[in-house]
Amino acid sequence: MSASIKQKKTRQFKCFRGRYSAICICCLALLFSNYTAQAEEVFVTIKKGTQTTTPISRYVLSAIFGMRLTTWPDGSAIRVFVLADDNRVHTLFCKQVLQIFPHQLRTAWDRLVYSGTGQAPEVLSSEQELRIRIAKTPGAIGYLTKENLDDTVAVLPVE
Amino acid sequence: MTQLPFSQLNNPVSSLKYHGWNSQPVTIKAFVLYLLCLPLSVQSHAFELFDSVQVHGFASQAMFLTSGNNMFGPSISSPGFDFTELGINGSWLPWPNLRLSMQILSRRDGAWSNGSPVIDFGLMDYSYNFTSDYRLGVRAGRVRQPYGLYNDTRDVAFTRPSILLPQSIYYEGTRDFTISADGLLVYGEMRKPWGNLNLELFGGYARTDNKETQYSFIQQTYYGTLASDPGFVGRLSYETYDGSLRLALSGAYTSMRYKPNALGDNLPRGNIGFDPILISAQYNTEKWTFSSEYSYNFSNSDFGTSYNTSTNGESYYFQSAYRFAPKWELMGRYEAYYTNTDDESGKAFYQNYGLPAYTQFAKIWTLGLRYDITPWMMVRAEYDYTNGTALLTPQSTLNPKTGNPDYFNTVQYWNTFGFLVSFRF
Repeated sequence: MSASIKQKKTRQFKCFRGRYSAICICCLALLFSNYTAQAEEVFVTIKKGTQTTTPISRYVLSAIFGMRLTTWPDGSAIRVFVLADDNRVHTLFCKQVLQIFPHQLRTAWDRLVYSGTGQAPEVLSSEQELRIRIAKTPGAIGYLTKENLDDTVAVLPVE
Repeated sequence: MTQLPFSQLNNPVSSLKYHGWNSQPVTIKAFVLYLLCLPLSVQSHAFELFDSVQVHGFASQAMFLTSGNNMFGPSISSPGFDFTELGINGSWLPWPNLRLSMQILSRRDGAWSNGSPVIDFGLMDYSYNFTSDYRLGVRAGRVRQPYGLYNDTRDVAFTRPSILLPQSIYYEGTRDFTISADGLLVYGEMRKPWGNLNLELFGGYARTDNKETQYSFIQQTYYGTLASDPGFVGRLSYETYDGSLRLALSGAYTSMRYKPNALGDNLPRGNIGFDPILISAQYNTEKWTFSSEYSYNFSNSDFGTSYNTSTNGESYYFQSAYRFAPKWELMGRYEAYYTNTDDESGKAFYQNYGLPAYTQFAKIWTLGLRYDITPWMMVRAEYDYTNGTALLTPQSTLNPKTGNPDYFNTVQYWNTFGFLVSFRF
């Protein structure tokens, strides 16, 4: 008798465990979907510890990525790193953060480079490379998706 | 020295290829510079030196097939290939506020140019950011003339809306005269949430020591020399910070002196003045770009009693580009040019000189298609329908091979089919 009760309890527990796992999977899925949505968010990233992390205005940021503002407030050089024009994260950054179309940025860089009035940013091949160069280079600025952020770089908030 | 990628140092050519276009700052990490820096134990110094050097370049070849009039070279019965552009430029930032730039250009555009390389620009640029909102700077040397939407990069096919720039505003005949000049340029920039305001003022000497300029202003080739007096060019421009709207007002005051050839010349000593005003506007969306420019110019020549003119010319274009698919762009444009606003039809010119009225104006319809094969390679096909020959360049008309030996022995209505291939890095 006691054995049958025990069996029943185990079955009930198993059943509960099954339901629990299903809920867990659902939660995970929800978390995951939430996570992927957040991964699409792009953050302005700078070298850690070297620059101010007070929020930067969008128009100042666009002057930096447009290569027209070339020095930090302390007079040191700004080094801009980006990904290729057709890179998904670059497009996302242009549209989401700068609110500029990638072709506009390219036009602005071309105008500087081929008229002797400025330089173009350095184009890197991956977010990993971007993070490494930003972490290493004094005065560096770039961008990373949330999943590629780590404690070697700092996020510059945009107001 | 760990920051220096040795593979790129050892093979700058492969690094050029690898970086490709994207104006990937093809950082030419010249081995010589590296060696020079070895004694410098300060790592950041060497790093700064290498990473502040950029080299970029471009190459374009055009083909023109025309009816009625020749373009640059013979192009009526069979395609002409007399238009080539090759350029390479480098810039170096020794300090955050100081930049040195130079571009060498080789260009073929008809009988007078053999493609020998010239310094297109070569300058020193110092600028200072007072705050992130204000910047003041000065450029000295051979600098690009701040004029309109396209003059700054007019030799780079990737930056042009069509095979050639709209001739009504950026006439090839006066290219050398308008592109760059020797002198000093002062500029100021103000950045605000509502947009950027730029003012550029240049003072110096235009490049008048070439046949195209002489012919474009005197209408014939003489034996003397045309020298530039100090002139001024300025541009005030406004741009929303995202570049969607661009507005500009440009103007120039130029003056040239003709000095007759001591061995005999049928043109006496004289002065020529050319003062254009240009209003420019451009509106960009993700898929569309609408551009329009309007120019009014005052020109006068004073050669004593023998050859005096004072005319006001007018020109404009309307242009739209549609990026209908990734890598593809369709372009349409209408432009008009009138040598003399008091005689737009050229009838008075015909009555006075007995020469064709259609040499006094040009009205051009253009339809073009651009395809970016890769980000560093582009091809473009274009069709022009032209009424009038006022914008037919002297490079085209005075080419002994072309079959338009006489400026006035031309056809009023003519077609141009053009094809261009261009590379850049």
